[in-house]
Amino acid sequence: MTDKLYTDALLGESYREIRHPSGLTIRVLHKDGYKSSYALFATKYGSIDTRIAQADGSFRAIPEGTAHFLEHKLFESEDLDAFERFAKTGANANAFTSFDMTAYLFLCADRFSENLEILLDFVQSPYFTEETVRKEQGIIGQEIRMYRDSAEWEVEFNLLRALYHHHPVRIDIAGTEQTIAQISADLLYDCYRNFYDLHNMVLTVAGKATAEEVLAVADKMLKPASGKAAVREFVAEPPTPAQRTIEERMPVNVPQFALGYKEAIVSPERTEKDVLCADILLEAIAGRSSALFKRLLDEGLINTGFGAQYFHGFGYANCEFSGESADPFRAAEEIRKAVADVRKTGVDPAAFERARRKNYGRFVMQFNEVSSVAHALADSYFAGNDLFESARICRELTLGDVNARLGELLDDDTTALSVILPKDGKE
Amino acid sequence: MAEPKLLTIADGVQLVAVQTDTFKTCRIGVQIALPLSGDIAAKAVLPYILRRSCRRYPDFTSLNGHLDMLYGATLGASVSKLGEAQMLKLSISSIDDRFVPDGESVAAQAAELLAQLLFEPKLENGTFALADVEQEKRLLLERMRSEDDDKRVYARRRCEEVMCQSEPFGKNRYGTADEIESLTPERVYAAWREALETAVIRFVLVTSGEADEVCALLKTQFSAVSRRVCDIRTQFVQTAGAVRYERETQPLMQGTLVMGFRCGMKDEYDMDPAVSVMADVFGGGTYSRLFSVVREKMSLCYFCAARLNRQKGVMLVFSGIETENEEKTREAILAQLREIQDGALTQETLETSVRSLCDTIRGYTDSPDVLCAWYGMQILNGTAKTPAQRISEIRAVTLPQVQSAAKAVTLDTVFMLAGTGEEHHD
Repeated sequence: MTDKLYTDALLGESYREIRHPSGLTIRVLHKDGYKSSYALFATKYGSIDTRIAQADGSFRAIPEGTAHFLEHKLFESEDLDAFERFAKTGANANAFTSFDMTAYLFLCADRFSENLEILLDFVQSPYFTEETVRKEQGIIGQEIRMYRDSAEWEVEFNLLRALYHHHPVRIDIAGTEQTIAQISADLLYDCYRNFYDLHNMVLTVAGKATAEEVLAVADKMLKPASGKAAVREFVAEPPTPAQRTIEERMPVNVPQFALGYKEAIVSPERTEKDVLCADILLEAIAGRSSALFKRLLDEGLINTGFGAQYFHGFGYANCEFSGESADPFRAAEEIRKAVADVRKTGVDPAAFERARRKNYGRFVMQFNEVSSVAHALADSYFAGNDLFESARICRELTLGDVNARLGELLDDDTTALSVILPKDGKE
Repeated sequence: MAEPKLLTIADGVQLVAVQTDTFKTCRIGVQIALPLSGDIAAKAVLPYILRRSCRRYPDFTSLNGHLDMLYGATLGASVSKLGEAQMLKLSISSIDDRFVPDGESVAAQAAELLAQLLFEPKLENGTFALADVEQEKRLLLERMRSEDDDKRVYARRRCEEVMCQSEPFGKNRYGTADEIESLTPERVYAAWREALETAVIRFVLVTSGEADEVCALLKTQFSAVSRRVCDIRTQFVQTAGAVRYERETQPLMQGTLVMGFRCGMKDEYDMDPAVSVMADVFGGGTYSRLFSVVREKMSLCYFCAARLNRQKGVMLVFSGIETENEEKTREAILAQLREIQDGALTQETLETSVRSLCDTIRGYTDSPDVLCAWYGMQILNGTAKTPAQRISEIRAVTLPQVQSAAKAVTLDTVFMLAGTGEEHHD
């Protein structure tokens, strides 16, 4: 067992990272003066994991949406399900599946140890039957339909479908009603064995709870694991998008758009500095104090929901500009022009400093909320980083760093535009 | 964390100050309560006009540039309803000086900025600039239309609208599209004066520093305003008449069922907090009837929940379903309510709900945003009740109280947003 303390003096925060003998890594950030604690038990298994590594090094396909389906089913057990157990303690429990992670969590003020015991127990105790799998298909079917009716969701997933030829980031997180119909109890057990090894997981806790409290429960509840982290397949992507535009009509009043620039990558993951430089670059170009934001707003091409983000994960990375617009095609044209200009001239030094400060301030602010801290601890762990890494880099970042990064991003030949337009002349 | 201080700034203007060094930020927000009547659209556009600029930072870009330089201070504006009050809100959060790398003082500047936005807006010829008003009109219209694009939000709003069509509560908090389109700088200016002179106003400050300076600053600003505080009352309809039904079809894959209930309350204190516990056991947490039976046992939906609006005495139940399951879901929801009315609720379930509600409330002091919302909600009561006080009240709720709260519930309106079930595509 190793136990290491990480501290950022200026931020006034520390956390402990413990490599538990069971194989699980545990990160605990205790906050003085807080009444509640937030715990997140996560595995590096998300919707992009559509293929399981075999003993001979080959990969076997599994149905789209399996990670999310498994998340729903893990709450069940032979007697009391996890929700019923948390009801007895008063904790607020939930779970989610993203592109690259499945996480189970709770927030509580009282009875932390008891809650952590339930969390560690139910996630380590799979119980799937054909009958309960069938029952869940109805609930998840409704969840899928709910998202399909959301224009905000569709504009984003359509963009990913346009940007990527093969990478599974292009499929819906919950799969489709057809793919989830192929899921069986046996398949769920297979996936569980492959992805829920403690070496593939992390437990993060933030708030009132101390590392000692967490360890006492961990020692009691964690079952030693076989010692293998799941292997992810790196899906190589052509540098250009699969299609340049994608349109869908939905019953909406206001059209929506997402303009993506695909990044050409040769290795699956980005460094913390690369991510930070991209974030600051996009803020400098399209943030609320930028010339582009003002021009688009004055010309009636965006509203205050407009923004840009760097979106990345294992084997995919892109820059996205998105929002609502009365004329999404013209908005996209204007953005492309502004981006091309910045690529010629480099980032304005004043815009860089504003963006750098904003990024730093927002990093600090997230430490107010136990939930954001626990999530940031897990995200940074899976990315292979110390939580405070990003703040340290941000304090020392220069305009030169960001301009160097600009050369790798935002190539106009890599764009795809996704647009949602009103249906049946609705406007 | 110190107990909150409740300070009087002027007639009808209060400051709730919470001093704590628990957080990374300094947060100050203002809530402005006006009746949900009169020039609703002009009042609705006001927080957004005030958020875009001020005399010192006269356009959107320079104001936002200033916020960025204050290490990404956030500036929020919104409009909501609290009972039949139209609530205009502005808030600023900045990182606390202790965490600024170069030792600059940021927090005081943020509080000062909020006062500038409120009292020293950018004016041209004694009123708001036409171009600014025109742009904010467009943005408000888009905000209103785009909220309707979220079908769950839309369906709930429509249910409230149908249910409360002859009460002020049935009005859109942004006004109507026509009212927004016809807005002029003069009307917005009048709304600004109305807000400063007549609104019930509450500031909430959560900071590591003393409240004295902020308090003095606000007192100075308000000393120049002649105040006559407006009267805000909410109409409570205790019992529903014949059930109203409205249905609308859109090309959607999923239908949304919303049921609006009257809770039998004569004012917001009536049956409080038993009615909150009743709504929670009915459709609050995962242990509630709606989650455990309608979703988990019957697999009818992904979400089915009840939300109480205590300030209006109404409760909405909403669920995303296959359109063909409308009747079945409606029956299932009513059956759950009937069981609670008939006394099927056990002491154990009551305790589960109380425990869960109290656990959540105990955590309120862990977030400046939640604390500001908590003390902001009490604006019309003039109180600064702490989360701990609320916990004691909820713990005292008994099974018979919950049952009688449930018995007072009557179904008023059903709104069904039916889907055609088809794929969209083009």
